[in-house]
Amino acid sequence: MSSIRLYMQGMKTSIAGRMTDRTDFLISMLIMLLFDMIVPFVTVIIYSTGASFPGWGLYEALLIQAIFLLAKGLSFPFFFGMVWNTIERVRGGTLDILLVKPRHPLFMLIVTAFDAEDLGKLLGGATLFVIAISQVEMPGVLEWLMFTFLLMMAVIMFFAFALLMSAVTIIWIGTFRVYELFDATTYFTLYPTSIFTKSFRTIITMVIPVAAMGSMPAAVLLGKPVDGVAVVGAVVLIFLVLSYRFWLSMMKNYKSAGG
Amino acid sequence: MRAIRLMRAVSLATYKESSAFRSQMAISILTGPVFFLIQFFIWSAVFSVRDTVNGMTLDQILLYYGVVAMIGFLTFDFSDWELQDLVHSGKLVTFLLRPVSYRFYSISVKIGHRMLAFWIEVIPVYLIFYFLFGIKMVPHHLGWFIVSITLSFIMVFLVNFCIGMSSFWLMRAQGVRRMFLLLKDVSAGVFIPLSFFPEVLQKVLFFLPFQFIAYVPNQVFLGSYQLAGYSLSIPMIVGLQVVAVLIMWGVSEWLWRLGLNKFTGVGT
Repeated sequence: MSSIRLYMQGMKTSIAGRMTDRTDFLISMLIMLLFDMIVPFVTVIIYSTGASFPGWGLYEALLIQAIFLLAKGLSFPFFFGMVWNTIERVRGGTLDILLVKPRHPLFMLIVTAFDAEDLGKLLGGATLFVIAISQVEMPGVLEWLMFTFLLMMAVIMFFAFALLMSAVTIIWIGTFRVYELFDATTYFTLYPTSIFTKSFRTIITMVIPVAAMGSMPAAVLLGKPVDGVAVVGAVVLIFLVLSYRFWLSMMKNYKSAGG
Repeated sequence: MRAIRLMRAVSLATYKESSAFRSQMAISILTGPVFFLIQFFIWSAVFSVRDTVNGMTLDQILLYYGVVAMIGFLTFDFSDWELQDLVHSGKLVTFLLRPVSYRFYSISVKIGHRMLAFWIEVIPVYLIFYFLFGIKMVPHHLGWFIVSITLSFIMVFLVNFCIGMSSFWLMRAQGVRRMFLLLKDVSAGVFIPLSFFPEVLQKVLFFLPFQFIAYVPNQVFLGSYQLAGYSLSIPMIVGLQVVAVLIMWGVSEWLWRLGLNKFTGVGT
């Protein structure tokens, strides 16, 4: 309970800080939303030329991107800020302050990194999701249940990635470009898995299960054939455990020297 | 002559300084091909059921994205961020006291930075595209392309510099900066060829300076230019690019003078 209170306090402090300049805050929130609308925008442009991804209608393709954005919106404001928080603190040598607090450093990294601007992603994801789902056949109860499970897996994947990125930047000081690596890796889930070769499909479902972050939940919701949902769930959890262990091992190598 | 010596000195210093962070720059060797690989999959799927999209074949569209990636590496710029930082910290004062224009200093920094990027980003990614994806990136008119990419280099700098100058008026310009950068990339044809946009939008984009950042050098590379129903010869579009750069230079000069009147040097 005290952890929740602490987290809420972190949220309040962050929002109060951003409210010192409301215009910039609102513009930044809008921008966060617009940035993630680029892929749907390109998809709409592609479909407007008469082209398409074989077997996928426009709104079905948009649903994939909406689900990814929704999961991103549930992750970026609430815990993904730990990545930039780690980068800044390691570079400035202020991560030490969190290490001496009577809480787990990972929790402190999350609490002090609530990013209100990224709520725009959640809003955008939810809006796009409603638009896309209203244009396709309404899924049944089983589809919704499986979708909810995979959406949870998607958020867990975001958390695992945040751990990996945070861990890398403990050693590789000041590397904001880890975000580009993240974008490049997760780009694969913004499109139907059927467009990839078989070997790539295996990689994105069984090795680095990014398919669980967008394309797979969308396929489930649309009633398209999806193999091994439970297996992917297990792979996601293994990925999370490995990421956390990696984060712990990198923390042991923290030099506290700044950079 | 003095200006060239100065530019050389600043560029070399930046080159050496950036070399210390070359591993960060080298991330592009991974991200560049991965982003391209995704484009490869997307467009291969799209073209699996048709031969052309908007008059372009699969090879042409892949070449387009390959060239866009190269143009991005060659012209990448962060002068907006640097200027914003200097204005907000008040450190711009130290540059204003120097007997050299800050804008000239800033473009010299960019030259040094991109010189390093040429070896670390451009050459390796070019070779990966060439040998791994079979994208034969050979410009149709090498001379015109060099002129066009040089103008694009200056144009990106001037546009970003103008965006950075928003910090003279705004206490926190981060949001505005990001918005302009996003609009710039969309309007430059970074995400999708401008000829794919609806006709009305193409007409608007034709009169904006952003097409000269990526779309025009790309079309010069490919050997023909068409947008919004206008077909122009390569010398003509490069000529227009020169005019656009001169106009942008004028705009940046005007904004700089206005901005300096607002600048107090106190910082925020």
